[in-house]
Amino acid sequence: MTTIYNRSRIVNWLAALPIAVICAFVVAPVVNILVSSFQLDSLNLLRSETIRNVVWFTTWQALTSTAVALLVALPIAFCMANFRFASQRFTTSLITMPFILPSIVVGAAFLQILPNNLHRTAFALILAHVYFNFGFVTRLISARWVQIHPYLDDAARTLGASPLKLFITLTMPLLRKAIVNAALVVFTLCFTSYGVVRILGGPSRSTIETEIYFRAMQLGDVSGAMMLSALQIIVISVIFHATNKQIGQTVEQTTRPIISRQRPLHANKHKIAITVIIASTTAFAVVPVFAIAVKSVVTNSRFTTTAWRTVFTNPEIVQSLVKTLIYAIVTMMLATLLGLLSACSIAYGNKKFRYVSGLTALPIVISAVVIGLGVIITFDSQPIDWRGAQLMLPLAHALVALPLAMRIISPVLQAIPDSLRQASNVLGASSWQTWRNIDLKIIRRAVAAAAAISAAVSIGEFGASSFLARRGSETLPITISRLLSRPGDSLRTQAFVLATLLALFSIAIIFIIDRKNSHA
Amino acid sequence: MLEIDKASVVYESSQLFANLSLKINAHEIVALTGPSGCGKTTLLRCIAGLESISTGTILLNNQDITNQPTHLRKIGMVFQDNQLFPHLTVGQNIAYSLKIKRVDKKITEQKVREVTSLVGLAHLIDRTVTNLSGGEAKRIAVARALVAEPKVLLLDEPLTGLDPDLHGRLLEDLGKLLRTRGTTVLHVTHDKAEASTIADRVLDLRQLIS
Repeated sequence: MTTIYNRSRIVNWLAALPIAVICAFVVAPVVNILVSSFQLDSLNLLRSETIRNVVWFTTWQALTSTAVALLVALPIAFCMANFRFASQRFTTSLITMPFILPSIVVGAAFLQILPNNLHRTAFALILAHVYFNFGFVTRLISARWVQIHPYLDDAARTLGASPLKLFITLTMPLLRKAIVNAALVVFTLCFTSYGVVRILGGPSRSTIETEIYFRAMQLGDVSGAMMLSALQIIVISVIFHATNKQIGQTVEQTTRPIISRQRPLHANKHKIAITVIIASTTAFAVVPVFAIAVKSVVTNSRFTTTAWRTVFTNPEIVQSLVKTLIYAIVTMMLATLLGLLSACSIAYGNKKFRYVSGLTALPIVISAVVIGLGVIITFDSQPIDWRGAQLMLPLAHALVALPLAMRIISPVLQAIPDSLRQASNVLGASSWQTWRNIDLKIIRRAVAAAAAISAAVSIGEFGASSFLARRGSETLPITISRLLSRPGDSLRTQAFVLATLLALFSIAIIFIIDRKNSHA
Repeated sequence: MLEIDKASVVYESSQLFANLSLKINAHEIVALTGPSGCGKTTLLRCIAGLESISTGTILLNNQDITNQPTHLRKIGMVFQDNQLFPHLTVGQNIAYSLKIKRVDKKITEQKVREVTSLVGLAHLIDRTVTNLSGGEAKRIAVARALVAEPKVLLLDEPLTGLDPDLHGRLLEDLGKLLRTRGTTVLHVTHDKAEASTIADRVLDLRQLIS
């Protein structure tokens, strides 16, 4: 992209900080894991039946969760993209909410609403994964669907295509890239799911991710954990590479048509169908959160607010709450800064900065647990024994949040026509003044959204925290997990109070972001 | 052939036109003119079944098609901005209707070759449609509609936005092509000169309302 900033030398240095941080705290630990795992005599581990079962279970539950999430999301995406109805924006926010709920909250919610005989089952895990991801899939597919010009459908109909043939021959091919991308992200999230599996799966339903934690932190088998981490990185990298190669040539329309394909609901059959789909979807999104809130005020089958009072007077929990908030603020600043610098280097720099986009996507491919493990095995001796450093946890959280932060800011920045900057220049503004008064003003909502999402990621992050949190610096998800694992209904109720707090925070964030975006 | 009897259209609670009647004979090319916003495109969309009329009837070969779904009407349409399917090649776009009807592959290939030659673009058959010029895309859109052998072809300002040279050439070619094939055509345009060049009859939409 050619911009007025291309000539500025500072543009070449924008990516320096993000590259340095990613190389030091993602690339180096991963290389360390890959090299160490092949140096150690731990290849035999892959031959053990337990590990083969874990790998097989991880794969099939991820595939099933992805397929079911797509099946649930497609009808909702159809409604969102093709019809205009009251409460559409509210519904969109509501169904997106599960995606930014902390995984530990989702696990706790399903622990509460599912009967005991379904706990520790594959069904429970798959259901929780579908809940977690269906809103994200809906949003991704419906965003693409509304871009398909409605007259393309009309052209197909005048050429003799029935509604079903139109869907198969036109809509599906044009949605293919969005569907494959959504499936890829959901598969990766389910394959590397950690919080949900720790809470809902227990020891009997272990995935590669929980097995890494179990081996490293409980069995002390760090080499086995590294071998599994290496296997996970390789599998996901191969899938990403193969998928990108496959969909690379797909034709995409990228602009929203002038004529909207969203039409008002007139026919009764449409009204009934949409009402049923939207009502059931809303119920699916709300019930688990509602169940947590209800459980937080019920102890031993009696209504009581004792747990709410206890959590705010228990010094350990208050300390955990304060630490979580401090980490969230530091994460928010770090992730937003790194995301903004990365987005600027891609938008303003020449083609050679394209790789920054791939580099910032690494924390999607490499799970939070692997980042956590990588950090503790890489920075374990002087002069870089940083395992217990206070900044390590928010830094790990910032790396997990970075792909999201960067991808929220980047499209908005790239959509700014350079002619606006040229006009500002011609009116006498310097490059820096232009950036502050044009670019920054236009992207400020995206930057705010990136900051909010980064804070939400930090508050709910569980994978990396499991490795990096030290006694006295535990975050809320760690505290929830500890309370849930202890016997006694009152402790569990306290866990649900904290889960409710996390859920309320996430809900507030998604509604604020969606509201701000709709005003923009 | 095509008969519209006392059709009315209400759009977002305001009446676009009422009691509109029109007859088009077989193999006739009729041009329909009128100011912007008077409902020319909406009338075409109603004939194709893409919009509904509130009152009145539409007859095709004396058969009432008012409530028939679009894909069963056998009425073709060329859209103002072509609406070529971006995921298909030129050849696949033209073959679309034949594929939908499950026409034999060899016959499909033959028909596609014929019609692309007819519009002078046989060499583009394997090209993607995303990088065609305006004139090429227009010819492909016409070819795609013609290969379906519609009983009536609706042209919605098909030559709008082209430069004057190309406009003149395409108008001449389109007129020849439609007459050679004996297609029944309703051509909507706001350009009166274009209307009188291509059509057997030129009508103003406002005159059709009783």
